[in-house]
Amino acid sequence: MSYTSKEIQLAARPNGEPKASDFQVGTTELGEPGAGEFLVRNIWMSVDPYMRGRMMDRESYVPPFQIGAALEGGAIGQVVKSNNENFKVGEYVQSMLGWREAFITDGAMLSKVDPANGPIEANLGVMGMPGLTAYAGLFKIGEMKDGDTVFVSAASGAVGSVVCQLAKAHGCFVVGTAGSDEKCKWLEETAGIDKAINYKTCGDLTAAIKAAAPGGVDVYFENVGGEHLVAAIENMKPMGRAALCGMIEQYNATEPAPGPHNIIQAVGKSLKLQGFIVSNHFDLLPDFVAEMSTLIGSGKMKWEQTVEEGIENAPKAFLNLFSGANFGKMLVKVGSDPAA
Amino acid sequence: MTEINRQIQLVELPKGKLSPTHFKLAEAPIPSISEGEVLLKTVLISLDAANRAWMQGATYRDALESGQVMAGGGLAEVVESKAEGMSVGDLVFADTGWQDYAALPAKNLNSVPRLEPLSYLISVYGIAGLTAYFGLLEVGQPKAGETVVVSAAAGSVGSIVGQIAKLKGCRVVGIAGGAEKCQWLVDELGFDAAVDYKNEPVHKALKTACPDGIDVYFDNVGGDILEAALFRMNDMGRIACCGAVSQYDGDAPKHGPRGIPGLIVTKRLRVQGFIVSDFYAKRDTAMAELGQWVADGKIKVQEDIIDGLENTPAALIGLLAGENRGKRMVRV
Repeated sequence: MSYTSKEIQLAARPNGEPKASDFQVGTTELGEPGAGEFLVRNIWMSVDPYMRGRMMDRESYVPPFQIGAALEGGAIGQVVKSNNENFKVGEYVQSMLGWREAFITDGAMLSKVDPANGPIEANLGVMGMPGLTAYAGLFKIGEMKDGDTVFVSAASGAVGSVVCQLAKAHGCFVVGTAGSDEKCKWLEETAGIDKAINYKTCGDLTAAIKAAAPGGVDVYFENVGGEHLVAAIENMKPMGRAALCGMIEQYNATEPAPGPHNIIQAVGKSLKLQGFIVSNHFDLLPDFVAEMSTLIGSGKMKWEQTVEEGIENAPKAFLNLFSGANFGKMLVKVGSDPAA
Repeated sequence: MTEINRQIQLVELPKGKLSPTHFKLAEAPIPSISEGEVLLKTVLISLDAANRAWMQGATYRDALESGQVMAGGGLAEVVESKAEGMSVGDLVFADTGWQDYAALPAKNLNSVPRLEPLSYLISVYGIAGLTAYFGLLEVGQPKAGETVVVSAAAGSVGSIVGQIAKLKGCRVVGIAGGAEKCQWLVDELGFDAAVDYKNEPVHKALKTACPDGIDVYFDNVGGDILEAALFRMNDMGRIACCGAVSQYDGDAPKHGPRGIPGLIVTKRLRVQGFIVSDFYAKRDTAMAELGQWVADGKIKVQEDIIDGLENTPAALIGLLAGENRGKRMVRV
């Protein structure tokens, strides 16, 4: 029999804030797996803020998505038919072929996922790319030392929440921002950070950080941009480090946003601001997996996820990232997991 | 020896542009010294854009206040000593302020060797030379074949940055104000190209001057020129933030360069501020290497020496306007 797959395609390049009409649902005939090939049905797919960048037609660290073609992103699926002895029916695999129900592959660029290690979807979150992003940014770029004061923006998000708990596990004083009282409560009570600030209601963010961390900030983990960066620079100690991971506030800007007016303080305080992308830091993977497994095993790493059901709702899940409607890792359940 | 101590006081903190009316020349008695102190006679006062930055608020030093003697460092000679290890005739780097004499605790002073010309102790072996050396090599970390861009390139720090970068095998592009300075950078100091920010759009000119993009940008000016450089940076590039002279004299900017943090993330840049004292542990090595380069004629030292304490305010104002070439100092 021939297999078909529903997929989400880029219908138009978003101008500013992406909208539902920038996406369309398409159906692809997959045919039959050939020699050495196998069919994967996706169960989970990830939506991440970085995907916004690939929707623009410009040179970046990953090539842009093409109009009319299926989008791509992290996904976990199961092998349902196989002509490849290395990938057996029933095995779980991780790929960058999200935004579709199924695909046929020869297995290049795929890795296996062992369901015995915990919920398979954690490989798209705490144990996956967002988790490694947190780890690389904090230790390699932010050069965090035990006991430092760490400030995290978008602290309850997929990356931020891991940053917070890694820093706490290393005896740091942690201050984070989030956009609702519910998220702040989770940060203080479940993730165990020292002070969570609701940036929507706190008024002067610079003053709020100063009140929470009067001694100043050693490491700033930047996920937001704009006012957050200004306030962080204002509060950083001499020799402070800012790990610049993202700027969700600015992904939808139609032209480059003005930078922080106080960047001049980088000189007087000998600050380091360094951008990074997780794919340059895969060498840290073994250390990351070792540390995270220990933390998860001892109950010191908690996470939340927000799930949309069905491939048709993938665009909605993506759009929710920009309104902050997600809590923790945003996922789409594309198909059922027979084992779950 | 003058019997009085002439001082230049900061009578008012500038809100916008610095002008001579912010200063006044006053006379005071020569201070007497206590146990552990030395009396210093100022020989050369170093003028730096940072002098203006100190008037804006606390940095690595406390903010200046009106009514005090204008702060500033330079080369001074010990004329009286009540401190062990310091004798009359010793030369020191000291924060004497803009005055003929200062009484200071000896423990904060660094003795320096008496070499000729003494002005080299302020330029190439002073803060300027060390700032260039550490900022480029420790923060910028250029590799042979990379493109290095330096702003305020004809200034005390920039002119040395460019020459060290050439010694390290880099393509070097300087940004300076005026055709004459640009010509000098290329003809006399051996820069590969120069951009005249007063007469051409920097963004476009950088594109032409740096066909392979920028790997290291040594920033002395901040503002629009920093923004132009950010847009031309290569992936994994480094920006050494040494100063922001365009931002010191005038109203505070409403916003900073576009592209922060966006371009820093996507290009994975490292943008790092520093002050020279962050690297003082390596000072002896730096002095030795700079000394060798000067002796071998590989670094040309450009100085701009102005005579007379009374001319110090005008000399600083002129420096902020970019009228100097090389290291500006005042011979007291």
